[in-house]
Amino acid sequence: MFRRYFDRDRPFGDVPLAVTIMLVLALMAQLIWHGSQAPITARAEDLPQPLSPGAYIIGSLGEPIATAKVLNLWLQAFDNQPGLSLPLHSLDYSVVIEWLDTILELDPDGHYPMLVAARVYGSVSDRVRQREMMAFIFDKFNQEPEKHWRWLAHAVIVARHELKDMPLALKYANALADKAAVSAVPYWAKDMRIMLLEDMDQVEAAKALVGGLIVSGEVTDPHELDFLKMKLAELEDRMTKSRRDVDK
Amino acid sequence: MFANVLTIAKFTIIESMRNRLLWLSLLVLAISFGLVEFIGELAITEHRVTQVSILAALLRINAVIMIALFVVSTMLRELNDKTLEMIVAMPIARSSYYLGKLIGFIHLALIVTVCFSMLLLLYASGSQVLIWSVSLLLELVLIVVLALVMIFTFRQMPIALTGVFVFYAASRAIASFHLMAMYPVIAHSSVSQKFIERFIEVLTWLLPDLHLFTQTEWLAYDTGRFEMLLPLLTQTLIYVTLLSAIALFDFYRKNF
Repeated sequence: MFRRYFDRDRPFGDVPLAVTIMLVLALMAQLIWHGSQAPITARAEDLPQPLSPGAYIIGSLGEPIATAKVLNLWLQAFDNQPGLSLPLHSLDYSVVIEWLDTILELDPDGHYPMLVAARVYGSVSDRVRQREMMAFIFDKFNQEPEKHWRWLAHAVIVARHELKDMPLALKYANALADKAAVSAVPYWAKDMRIMLLEDMDQVEAAKALVGGLIVSGEVTDPHELDFLKMKLAELEDRMTKSRRDVDK
Repeated sequence: MFANVLTIAKFTIIESMRNRLLWLSLLVLAISFGLVEFIGELAITEHRVTQVSILAALLRINAVIMIALFVVSTMLRELNDKTLEMIVAMPIARSSYYLGKLIGFIHLALIVTVCFSMLLLLYASGSQVLIWSVSLLLELVLIVVLALVMIFTFRQMPIALTGVFVFYAASRAIASFHLMAMYPVIAHSSVSQKFIERFIEVLTWLLPDLHLFTQTEWLAYDTGRFEMLLPLLTQTLIYVTLLSAIALFDFYRKNF
């Protein structure tokens, strides 16, 4: 097959010797030139400010969703610049938040920015930056509770177990229970505040909350009702025990 | 011999003028100007930097596409119309034909560069525009030679153009590819990973350093210096010689 291809052309001997020498010399010159250049080194770049969403729409010729997806990947990989791996917490989080906001504006139905806010940028060991990311999630939840409740539920867990800030966790859990519509948020998410109150030793408040939920008729799922009743019994038992301890 | 070279170069330039390449350049300039002025209205801050950055990037990529398309389509027409066969049948050395075409196309690259630089003078200092323009001309010279190599080798427009653009994109991005391959986030010791690392390293040796050419940063932040042009000129001379040797090697072996 290759023989047929090569046979179509004239023999190598028809190429003037000067051309062959030129080819060899030029190839050697290229290799020597490259070898004499300074080696390519990695250089860390600061995260730039995003442009306005409109600029991205124009730049992408009217493809905001595709642009948002590309920007997601670019931002997510920013800590991994060519030849460098930057720790996430070395990024300027106020700029990261601006990027996440821009991406959400380009693709309002996308969950990617919220996921990276919760699971990537919100999982660093720097508590201040973690708080910034949780505040971003809370802000977005307040704007659209139906859409972002699951990320706030994650923020409750982060506040409770990583930040160990119970009032903050309770604030998020209360918002989750109060603001999100009944149909959108599952009971486990709404019940988070009960667990938190229990953890904070506010057993009476937790009991009142559980009792209120049962009586209000908001909870219709039989399994959920059983769970709440069981929880109510547990809380009453705990209260009785603690009273006995005080009496002794 | 040199008279033949100049005649072929002259007719290449005449053909480009009849193909309205100059008009196309002016049209690109007008559209770019309108777009950049509009973008300037949107920018809240760094008005001039935003305009010049977008304009320079637009003009550079347009110049590369225009020159590549022009060289490939002109040469293909000569092949299809049997003009090339007629010239080869005359007592003209194939190298004279190649040199004539090369000089003609470089002249066109110069015209396009000058046209595009004029617009940039509205947004950046003269010295920076001059540095940028010389660098763009060198980049376009490489594109001309590359397009000649591709069309001599493949003789088909889609493959030749794909070859030019893949080579161009690889040359501009090879430094980043090399760094990513050398310092991966998750290190793998598999054979395929080692192979890719070595392959990219070999490519860095063989491809021209196009990532150093025609940098928008020079215009935006006045960071260009004339001495930066010397390594670019050296790289262009070496690579033009190499590609020309490849083109001539192939051209001398072609049967018509």
